[in-house]
Parts: sequence; structure tokens; C-alpha cells
Amino acid sequence: MIDLGSAPLPAQSAATLDIVAEHDEAAWRDGLRDGVPTLFGIGAWGLVVGVAMVKTGLTVTQALGMTLLVFAGSAQLASLPLILAHAPIWVIFATALVVNMRFVIFSALLAPHFAHLPWRSRFLLGYVTGDMTVALFMQRYPSEAPARGKLSYLKGLLYPNWAAWQIGSIAGIFLGSAVPAEWGLGFAGTLAILCITVPLVANWAALTGVLVAGVVAVAAFDLPYKLGLLLAVLLGMFSAMAVEELSATWHRRDSGEENND
Amino acid sequence: MTDLDIWLIIGVLAIATAATRSSFWLVGHHITIPKRVQEMLRYAPACALAAIIAPDVLMNGSHLQLGLGNPKLIAAVVASIFYVLRRDMLQTILVGMVVFTGLRLLHVF
Repeated sequence: MIDLGSAPLPAQSAATLDIVAEHDEAAWRDGLRDGVPTLFGIGAWGLVVGVAMVKTGLTVTQALGMTLLVFAGSAQLASLPLILAHAPIWVIFATALVVNMRFVIFSALLAPHFAHLPWRSRFLLGYVTGDMTVALFMQRYPSEAPARGKLSYLKGLLYPNWAAWQIGSIAGIFLGSAVPAEWGLGFAGTLAILCITVPLVANWAALTGVLVAGVVAVAAFDLPYKLGLLLAVLLGMFSAMAVEELSATWHRRDSGEENND
Repeated sequence: MTDLDIWLIIGVLAIATAATRSSFWLVGHHITIPKRVQEMLRYAPACALAAIIAPDVLMNGSHLQLGLGNPKLIAAVVASIFYVLRRDMLQTILVGMVVFTGLRLLHVF
């Protein structure tokens, strides 16, 4: 593959970066192992989105096209009522962008780990990276420093995640109305996310962020263009950071090392 | 809406996915993120996940539903406790779904 756009690198680091991209069987298996428990929830969520697409009136072909090309459940769900209401296409596009805006933040977190890959690989990796994948990956590799098997671990998370979503979604498209909404199968996806969130709440700062984000998401639920989700993520991050800095200040004061600057 | 309209919508939705998810993967090395912002971004995944699940767990339609009458809330609390104790996601999802479905069918509260 021709490398059109990867970052220029100092020559001596090229060898270290090879270990990031080189296939590493153990890391791949680790990714698989960490991701497998989420697949049931992912598939259930895909199923719910598949059913919703068909119930909105999309044909089977259109719904298949949407799940395979768009691959963004929350944006798809947000677009369906707008399609029903015959909203202008730019409103649908704007709503999808806002719903997806958290992915810009996620890409800023993940991309530096793989900046040396060819641009097509980077594009595809970014395109298929969902919420849970980012959380699981960042837990295992919090630092951007090159480490053996990073790419294999990411792929071990990504490929099964993509397959589970598509299988669930396609099943939903063909089952359509055979799955009653009151079964609440999508709740399985919510429970999977809950399990991933629990270990992330490792300190007071993270707990504050999660609580603020949750409260804002509920309070701002009715905002247009699904702005509530974006607002929740931003305010959650700000609050977490504020608590982190406050506790760092208190810590310094307690240990008597406070500077006058 | 015509078939073409729907495919145009699918097209712009795909662009919205690519533009956001692949953004920093494609142009990230041209942008330097300040250290403080980088530190803040570490909290983004947890905040995003919380923001996604909170409305599903705490709301019924578009209004807040706290208390015993909300089967998802009770199931989520039970599932969280179960996960903290057992650290097994698959079992937690099953327990949560059983509690949720049980409460929903039996109208316990």
C-alpha cells in the first residue's frame, strides 16, 4: 500500500513503531477476550436499530445499505424520526454530526497511537471504531508510547464488534416486527456499556465526570439536533478536570509543597 | 420520500460517520492538542458512555422516572452491584435482563 499521508518520522523511531503494527497473536487474543463479553450487548443494540429502520419504512435494501455504510447506531436512530418527518437533508446531516461529535474526541485519543500507519488503514480503523472499543483500548494502553501488539489488540476488539453489530442489525432488518419493542432488548446494550463504565470510575474526578455527564444527558435530552449528548460529554470532561485540579491543589497544600507561582 | 432521497440521506450519514470518526486519524499529526486539553480528553470515554446510558435508564419516553416503578433503573442498580462483585460482563447482562424482564412482566412494583 502506498503511504500517501502518514506523519513524517525520524528514522530511528521506524523500528520501534514496527512493533505497534506487527501482528501479535497474544495481543490479538487479548483484544478478542476483552471484547467478547460486549458482543451480546452490541448485537442486541444492532438488532434494535435494525428493527427501528424497517419500522420507519425503509426497504430491506435501504436498511441494509444504511447499516453497512453508516455503521453508527445512535446517529441512525436519531435520523429515523427526521426521515419520518420529511426533514431537510441538511438537518439530518447536522443532527448526525452532533450525535457523532464525541467520535472526534475519541479519534483524538486513539489516532496518535497509530499515526505512522498508511492513511487508508487509518481511515478504515477510525471509521469502524465505536464507543466501547475506545473505552476498552484506552484502559489497556493509556499511554501513546509505542507498545508491542497495539494494532493487533485494537483489531481483536474491532472486527468482532463490527461483525456482532452487523449480524444483530441484519437480523433485526429481517425479523422486523417479529421482535416486540416491549421486550426492551436494547437494554442489553445499555448493560454492556454499564459494565465498561464501572472500571473507568477509578477516582473522584472520573466519578464526578460520569455523574455530571449522566445528569446533563437527561436534563438536556429534549435539545434539538441531539445536542444534549455533546453537551453532556463536554460538561462531564470539564467537571472531571476541575475536580482533578482541585484535588491536586489540596494534595500539594496538605503535603506543604505549595509554590507561590 | 423517494428511494433516491433515502439513499442521499444514507450517503450524508456515512459522510457524518467518516468525518467524525476518522477526523484525527487523517489530520491528527497536523494538529497539536494542548497538554491540558489532552488531559481532559482522558475523561471523554467514561463521560460519553454515561451520557449514552443515563437517558435509557432514567427516562421513560421523554420524562424522568426515578424510583421503584422504573424496571430499567432497578435492573441497572442490581447489574452494577453484581458487576462490581463478580466482574463478569456476560453474567451481568443476563442478570440485568432477567431482573428487567421479571419486573416488567410481573409488575412487582
